[in-house]
Amino acid sequence: MSTLGFSEEQRDCLQEIINVAMGLASDKLARFLNTFVHLQVPSIALVGASHIPAEFENRYQDTEAALVSQGFFGNEGVRGEAIVLYQMENAHKISALLGYEVGDVSEIEMLTDISSILTTTFLNGLADQIENSLSYSAPRVLSSVKGDMSSLLRNTSFHWEHALKVDISYQLVDHSFNCDMILLIPGEAVTNIQRILDRILEDY
Amino acid sequence: MSHAWLSSPILAQLNSGVIVIDDEYQIHYLNAFIERHASVQLSEVQGKSIFSVFADLPEAWLKRKLMSVLDLNTPAFSSWEQRQYIFKLPHLRPITSSSQYMAQNCSMLPLVSDQTDQPLICILIEDATDAFVYQQHLSKTLIELERANRQDGLTKVLNRRYWEEQLKQEIHRAQRYHHPLSLILFDLDKFKDLNDKYGHLGGDFVLIQLASFISSLLRDSDLFGRYGGEEFGIILPDTGLEGAVEVAERICQAVAEYPMLFNQQTIRASISMGVAELLPKQHLLHDDVIRCADMALYNAKRAGRNRVCSYLAGETEYQKKVN
Repeated sequence: MSTLGFSEEQRDCLQEIINVAMGLASDKLARFLNTFVHLQVPSIALVGASHIPAEFENRYQDTEAALVSQGFFGNEGVRGEAIVLYQMENAHKISALLGYEVGDVSEIEMLTDISSILTTTFLNGLADQIENSLSYSAPRVLSSVKGDMSSLLRNTSFHWEHALKVDISYQLVDHSFNCDMILLIPGEAVTNIQRILDRILEDY
Repeated sequence: MSHAWLSSPILAQLNSGVIVIDDEYQIHYLNAFIERHASVQLSEVQGKSIFSVFADLPEAWLKRKLMSVLDLNTPAFSSWEQRQYIFKLPHLRPITSSSQYMAQNCSMLPLVSDQTDQPLICILIEDATDAFVYQQHLSKTLIELERANRQDGLTKVLNRRYWEEQLKQEIHRAQRYHHPLSLILFDLDKFKDLNDKYGHLGGDFVLIQLASFISSLLRDSDLFGRYGGEEFGIILPDTGLEGAVEVAERICQAVAEYPMLFNQQTIRASISMGVAELLPKQHLLHDDVIRCADMALYNAKRAGRNRVCSYLAGETEYQKKVN
């Protein structure tokens, strides 16, 4: 895997920021969901966006999966698109947790709600640490069908140079829930993020 | 120089709704867009609960959304695609649009206020009626396209390609669940003579009339298609040979007694019909069943037309003898 021009210090700094953001998110989620949330340290990787489809092809093969996208943009040229991937059986689990009842809302609405909560709590925590603030587009389900996940990802990630891949695994008491989050970041935004990371590193 | 003065005129001009409420759902602010569309005045509703002012709101659902905004300090969204509207408001194209209420994209955003510690939520309401209307047109067009794709242009029964696809599926289903399946193939008798006598328009007229008449005699589950020219096929799921012959006899007789009025002339037509039942051990392909029904149809023609013949198991050749 290429480092995509990130120095080791920059990568460490980013991992640290993401760890803290994840901690903040899990704390908020635990209080919101009224249950203990155990979050593993997320594994992050910076990859070329073109590598993304192949990587998820196996994991979501033969399962009913859904893909939800939400754009984000902030100051200093920080912008990108967050994609959350689920196996549908997992999505059903958390919907019960969020207090939805069957027939209450459509499956799509349930998915966009969950994704929006996961994405924005995490990214808000990330933005706080880099003294930024983010705005979000409405979440949108790109697919919730069996199969065609990789071709959809291919079409989605084609125009993006870099992807920050964050594997998230939420363990809730009596429930376990896994999903993957991919932050797709266009080239110039990566440069902007590097500049911000350098500034943080200087302050230490 | 402060630009704060701009907010007020912009909010008044904004073509989106803005409503600000607090954590007890009390209205702090709403802009001119909402005042006009909902026929309310800010001065009259300020401090009142949003659920009493807008009585049609989906209260439980909206409260859950608003709670996530307050608890997590993150935005929440609602799209017209899932919920056409939250606020029941009239829209700006009541004449040209088929929908009665404004389709809306709503964002619920956490607000930080300098003046109070009370958490506030800004509800942004965007009119998505145009997108909603386009989507409706698109869905309607897609349904029409799908229908056109499986319909025979002239007679409006299934076209051959789609009908054969259905036959394959029905055979598959019948074999899997051990259900009987029968097939009727029929052909208009002396269609060439009809064309010669009444012209091609007359011939087409007869095809259209008969297709529609025969359709009215069938069950919903029967699949009626135009096989080509003046030849048609009917798939009868869950029907054995005996039942299929009964259906065919009834159709054959009804057609013979069905007068059609074309250019002040009464046209009478008859059909010859071949019936075959799916024999799971012999009929491996849908072509095999078609061949058997076709053989029976040929026999009906040879036997003098305007009649039904059924395929007998073991029959491998067309009946040679002409009655």
